[in-house]
Amino acid sequence: MPAFQKARRRATLWLARQLPPCREITQLISESMDRKLTLRERITMRLHLKICVLCGRYLKQLMYVREAVHHHAAHLENGASPEPPSLSEEARERLKRALSDNS
Amino acid sequence: MAHTLVVGEQAPSRRATIDPAAWIDDHGDYLYRYAMVQVRDPQVAEDLIQETMLAALQACDRFAGRCTERTWLVGILRHKIIDYYRKASRERRIDSVPLMPDDQEEVFSTTGPWAGHWKKGKGPAAWEGDPEAELEQREFWDVLKRCLEGLPPRTAHVFWMREVEGLTSEEICKELDITATNLWVILHRARMQLRRSLEQHWFGVAENKA
Repeated sequence: MPAFQKARRRATLWLARQLPPCREITQLISESMDRKLTLRERITMRLHLKICVLCGRYLKQLMYVREAVHHHAAHLENGASPEPPSLSEEARERLKRALSDNS
Repeated sequence: MAHTLVVGEQAPSRRATIDPAAWIDDHGDYLYRYAMVQVRDPQVAEDLIQETMLAALQACDRFAGRCTERTWLVGILRHKIIDYYRKASRERRIDSVPLMPDDQEEVFSTTGPWAGHWKKGKGPAAWEGDPEAELEQREFWDVLKRCLEGLPPRTAHVFWMREVEGLTSEEICKELDITATNLWVILHRARMQLRRSLEQHWFGVAENKA
């Protein structure tokens, strides 16, 4: 390994140790989807993501999960979800009876 | 039907009829699915639908057709679900952070110089294939649905309010009477678990593949 690459790797590892670990960064990544992070938090997260490919994936995949859930909800709405749970005949009857007793 | 109310004396095509039995036929399954995603218990879901319909019946004069009948009923149901969880946490004294098998220790190192970082082979894997294309597949929805069902009910409810109903953190905290920190922890865990089960059940990545 050329000296330059070795130095670069050492610097990366050093930086990784100065920043909060992945466990805290994943919490920040999630929170960035719910609130505006502070400047300090944003910088911390960016720096960590620069050197941590796993947390980078994590962020990308969480965005994907968000999108998938939105699609899923839309499917639910138009009734296209496969094997939808549905009210049983008995439940329907019970509900109708309860409603007519009360109206 | 005996309890069909005819409001107004307009021409038949324009008159607003309130027919709870038809509500059940037209929207029952949808409301049931909506409730089941969030409470997970068929009996509870049925009870909530019944309460929703009764409340709707009492308030039907206030339903002025400003939105669709379904949207109106869902609006009532969401409040019934919130009430249900509020009541449940009061009665059963559930801690507001749901008890969830904490997989943090399983995926993050607990000791050594790299404590808190992803354990070898436990970090997010590169997802094979084209995730965008998966969104079009029916089987994918089935798997996602099952992954959502794997979340603890309370967590699923909070996650649903945030991601599907699009409520802000402040709104959710107010409705559920929890702190923001608490909310963010719940959402973080929900996302972490969902990501992981989607990886295991759909993207088919075997664990321990460094």
